[in-house]
Amino acid sequence: MIEYLRYSLRTLAHHKMRSFLTLLGVIIGIMAIVSMVSVGAGMEQALRKKLEDLGSDKIVVSPRIAYGTSSILLVDADAEALENLQGVAFVSPIYTVTSDVEYGGETQLLKVLGVDPEKAEETFGRGASSYSLLAGRWLGRGDRYKVVLGYSAAKDAFPREVSVGSRVRLHGREFEVVGVFSKTGDRDKDYSVYTSIDVLREIFGAGDRLTFIIIRVEKGSDIEQVRQRVEERLKRRKGTDKGYFVMTQQEIIQSVGSAYTVVKVVFGGLAGVSLIVGAIGIANTMIMNVTERRREIGILLASGADRMHVMRIFITDAALLGIAGGAAGLALGYGVSRAINLAAERYLGEGVLTTSVTPELAVFSLVFALLVGVVSGLYPAYRASRLEPVEALRA
Amino acid sequence: MAISLRDVVKRYRTGKVVVEALRGVSLEIPRGEYVSIMGPSGSGKSTLMNLMGALDRPTSGSVRIDGIELSGLSDRELAVVRRKKVGFVFQQFNLISKLTALENVALPMWFSGVSRSRRMRRARELLELVGLGHRVHHKPSEMSGGEQQRVAIARALANEPEIILADEPTGNLDTSSGMEVVRLLEELNAQGKTLVVVTHDTQFGRRARMRVKMRDGQVLEVER
Ligand SMILES: Nc1ncnc2c1ncn2[C@@H]1O[C@H](COP(=O)(O)OP(=O)(O)OP(=O)(O)O)[C@@H](O)[C@H]1O
Ligand SMILES: [Mg+2]
Repeated sequence: MIEYLRYSLRTLAHHKMRSFLTLLGVIIGIMAIVSMVSVGAGMEQALRKKLEDLGSDKIVVSPRIAYGTSSILLVDADAEALENLQGVAFVSPIYTVTSDVEYGGETQLLKVLGVDPEKAEETFGRGASSYSLLAGRWLGRGDRYKVVLGYSAAKDAFPREVSVGSRVRLHGREFEVVGVFSKTGDRDKDYSVYTSIDVLREIFGAGDRLTFIIIRVEKGSDIEQVRQRVEERLKRRKGTDKGYFVMTQQEIIQSVGSAYTVVKVVFGGLAGVSLIVGAIGIANTMIMNVTERRREIGILLASGADRMHVMRIFITDAALLGIAGGAAGLALGYGVSRAINLAAERYLGEGVLTTSVTPELAVFSLVFALLVGVVSGLYPAYRASRLEPVEALRA
Repeated sequence: MAISLRDVVKRYRTGKVVVEALRGVSLEIPRGEYVSIMGPSGSGKSTLMNLMGALDRPTSGSVRIDGIELSGLSDRELAVVRRKKVGFVFQQFNLISKLTALENVALPMWFSGVSRSRRMRRARELLELVGLGHRVHHKPSEMSGGEQQRVAIARALANEPEIILADEPTGNLDTSSGMEVVRLLEELNAQGKTLVVVTHDTQFGRRARMRVKMRDGQVLEVER
């Protein structure tokens, strides 16, 4: 095996330019696959991470923002009605607006999340990659005109850094900053402001309206059963199961995952077409190769090689070509993927579009390239092995 | 007998034209013999050599190499016979251009399954034997014709065959390097190898103990 590789390496080195041209198709194909799939994988990863932050024991009730169906209005009473359901440990109603926030004479539009101050820590401070405090404290019982700022809202949004104890004006009202969160890496979260839901709704005249409800399931309960109970209760109250959704984190990840699988398959398929072209290229060159290397085949046969030796030599050549093209394509694809990443970070902002070349993707593309090489080399290798020694030597 | 041929016929068919390259050749070559084959161009000398080296099959008749009847053998078994019993030397040297002298000489041992280290050691010894100890890492294109032919001779010896078949080995060489090659081949014969050479050079041909004259695909006469 090693000997065949050694021999093929010689062939490859001897015909560098031709080998490179042969490989161009495979290189481009693999490059396209790697870079395209990395975009899909990156999107999926980013979303998964976001959802995992919710915690695996959480259910989210949220109005469905979709065309055709009018979205349902969620109110306090809906949240309260869920509290005494079996298996529900904790219900946290959330109201969000985008509001003007002023500090040091500068006004910014920031996302503001209103939460029951008493439930703030339990809502946001638990679970895998949840919030942690960089400075100050969480919102607590009885807090009214107090806010906790996301990392970037405090550090980057205003010309001067906002620190604990400072005062900001939110929609014209003065609030005291009692805490600042550490960086989460999620741009959306880091630029948010957290305050009391009641105060927020008062300021914006939102009455008892809610934006979404976070539910935590009791330890040991089956999250899917609880989800169904929540759904039934809401259906009875609202008279419909349209216009909102009740989802566990797992379901959200699944649905998102399948959406991105489609993206990956479509991208991968496009790239696959270019690979087929690459394979035809290899096969074509390999067949020309066999004609050109007839004399070499004759020498091998006269030196005691049998047909299997010749066949293996040519298949190894094709496999090596495939792997070499795969490796080059992978390297280029990784480069393109990084470039997309950097460009996205620069022009779209951090964390909006990340690409990811996973180890699976790397291995897959190499194996695939190898396969393309071997498959396209099979017929030429067979042809090579069928040559008669004397005929081959006469070339 | 090293090689024995009986009523060997070889026909080539190119499209509708059938060429009878050998028309009933019988020949016995004892072990350790030094044989020259001479005759006009197209008389079937190379065809005969290829049959004697198991590179090709006769249309009819029997070929035996070292007592082995070739007619019933598979392609694979023929390859084994070539590997074990014969070493070829060609007019055009037939070295593989991408391989070094050392690797060219080691090539036949690859197919007979000799380990890499033993292969390389023996290839080096053989190159020293043909006076090319200083050229082991040269590619064919970096060597003179005479040197290339000596590499080819070293390669022919790699698997220690009984028989050396040389088809016009001096045909592409100037007189002095041709002499060198003749001297080398005769030395091998002196050490016991059966040597068969095809040549147009009567000087060379006369040196053989057994001289075969061919014409029109037939053996005209055998001189001893
Ligand atoms: N593969 C082949 N297909 C068709 N005809 C062939 C083939 N090989 C040899 N011949 C024909 O068979 C005849 C004998 O050829 P061969 O090569 O044995 O002659 P030769 O004596 O070696 O000649 P030279 O001295 O020119 O090398 C020639 O007429 C040649 O054209
Ligand atoms: Mg000839």
